[in-house]
Amino acid sequence: MTQSTDIDPQDASTPDRYAPRTGPLGLSRRTRARLTDLAIDAFLFAFGLLMILPLVFLVSNAFKTPQEMVAWPPRIIPEDPTLENFRSVLGDTPLLLWIWNSFSFAVLSMIAIVATSAIAGYVLAKFPFRSLHLLFLVILATAIVPFEVYMIPLYFQAQALGILNSIWGLLLGYLVMSFGIFLIRQNVMHAIPDELLEAARIDGAGEMWIFVFIVLPLLRGALGALAVLAFFQAWTSFAWPIIVATTRDAYTIEVGLALFQTGFTVDLGRLSAASAAVLVPSVTLFVILRRNFVQGVASTGMKE
Amino acid sequence: MAVVEINDVRKLYGNVEAIKGVSVDVPAGAFVVLVGPSGCGKSTLLRMIAGLEDISGGTISIGGHVINDVEPKHRDIAMVFQNYALYPHMTVEQNMGFSLRFAKRSKAEIRQRVQEAARILGLSDYLDRYPRQLSGGQRQRVAMGRAIVRQPRVYLFDEPLSNLDAKLRVQMRAELKDLHARLRTTTIYVTHDQIEAMTMADRIVVMRDGVIEQAGAPLDLYDRPANLFVAGFIGSPAMNLLEGENDPASGTVGFGGGASLSHAVAGTPQGPIVYGFRPEHVELVGEGEGPAATVTNVEPTGLDTLLVADMNGHAVAAYLRQRLTVKPGDTVHIRVAPEHVHLFDTATEARIVPD
Repeated sequence: MTQSTDIDPQDASTPDRYAPRTGPLGLSRRTRARLTDLAIDAFLFAFGLLMILPLVFLVSNAFKTPQEMVAWPPRIIPEDPTLENFRSVLGDTPLLLWIWNSFSFAVLSMIAIVATSAIAGYVLAKFPFRSLHLLFLVILATAIVPFEVYMIPLYFQAQALGILNSIWGLLLGYLVMSFGIFLIRQNVMHAIPDELLEAARIDGAGEMWIFVFIVLPLLRGALGALAVLAFFQAWTSFAWPIIVATTRDAYTIEVGLALFQTGFTVDLGRLSAASAAVLVPSVTLFVILRRNFVQGVASTGMKE
Repeated sequence: MAVVEINDVRKLYGNVEAIKGVSVDVPAGAFVVLVGPSGCGKSTLLRMIAGLEDISGGTISIGGHVINDVEPKHRDIAMVFQNYALYPHMTVEQNMGFSLRFAKRSKAEIRQRVQEAARILGLSDYLDRYPRQLSGGQRQRVAMGRAIVRQPRVYLFDEPLSNLDAKLRVQMRAELKDLHARLRTTTIYVTHDQIEAMTMADRIVVMRDGVIEQAGAPLDLYDRPANLFVAGFIGSPAMNLLEGENDPASGTVGFGGGASLSHAVAGTPQGPIVYGFRPEHVELVGEGEGPAATVTNVEPTGLDTLLVADMNGHAVAAYLRQRLTVKPGDTVHIRVAPEHVHLFDTATEARIVPD
């Protein structure tokens, strides 16, 4: 990977033809390429380290005593590791309930968004009626309206429906994602040729069957990506849950974590422990779905 | 096997008439090729037979029943697409057995029919593979297998060989022809390649701009093109079509500068005319036996020679079954056997038929 093979080493013995092979620093092209690669590797490694370090400290802080937390210089491996933070967080706050609230909210939102995006995206891509095109433009237009603009009206709607402090209230703004519809529509147009659907129609398949057994499997990659996106959108959402969930038991984990910081203090130890615990499900989900991406991307089998 | 009757069929896209009243009869078991340049409406017509496009006017019937309003799946047809349209997430076996699943056939019967088709097409070793693991030619065979397995009344092919390389195309052409000889199922085949049409068809329908220019047996079209378009479209290398002045009294057409060639068509009009002859009907003769022409290009293939010469500003292609020593710049004298000459009306572009 670091060496170029386009020049036959034997040819290099004719000095007049291959004389200008050394660069300005008197290095051969091969050495220069290797140095460049090394520099890129070093840069990426440093950058990667920079990205992962806060996460490492978050986990490490979760196991530290309050004294060690403020010690300087900070240590990565705690000198006197303790589970006190976790015990306190799990004992004093309904952390597991909050995680469960967040998790069920995120999963239901993910399912709803994947389902609505798949259906709407497919229909918008493959059934070219003028009215549908107009509808698509309207859907795109909704993406430019910031959530904060309709947050309050939506709250009153949730109140009128009597679904405050419930998972249905949380879900109200998280059932459809205009970007998801757009993403799937583009994917269908790019990855699913009309002939595939026509062949199925001639062979006797119904529209529903075509959607479920041909379109959906071919969109696996895009739907997987959208699923992760939708899951984390709901999982990390904060503004909407904090308005719609007002009782302690209805909090999502993000709202719950915010409780560890007040106007005057930040309970670093317990915040770290809670955050570390929260990382577990999201990391797990990502690891599971990552394999799906690769499979999905690698399975476009039509004529190139 | 079924008769397909296309009766005055029209297709409108908004106000644009893509197909302007086309009638074709496809006898049971025939192999009919729709051929024409892109945009001539041949694929649209095929898709109307398949039920993928609505029929704006006229009727199409299969086996005596008008199928204008019949769903594609109830027309009992099988279609092979240019890009194969294989389901990427299904194996070869699943792809081929796909239609039978909807026909509610038993698993054993599906398996048996798929294996039979795979044997015919030489795909037996590939049944567990996915389309992406196959070469272009193999994918094309799977697409054909999917059609065969159905045992439909009519096969529809939409430029099935266009995505293959030249060598494979020739091979698949022979296989398709062989397959048709064996199955004897009515076949309608769309292509823009006149060689495919000539080599495979029982009957060729030449289309242009939504109308039929001529329909008939391949060699009939070759020997008696009905108009200038068909004359230029069928045959490779293409027919020479030179504009000249006809003199019916002497049976010759003059091309200026004293150059003239004779024909054997009686009752032709005096004046401008298009004089057509195929490159293989050109002979090189001695000085004084025919008009002179300057060689501009020589293409030897080893077996034969294609020569292009300039006769008073008219390019003449000659296809000679011999090796020649002429080179560009040389002067040759040409003769065309009068019985092989086609004459066309300059205004109507129609063939002038001797009365």
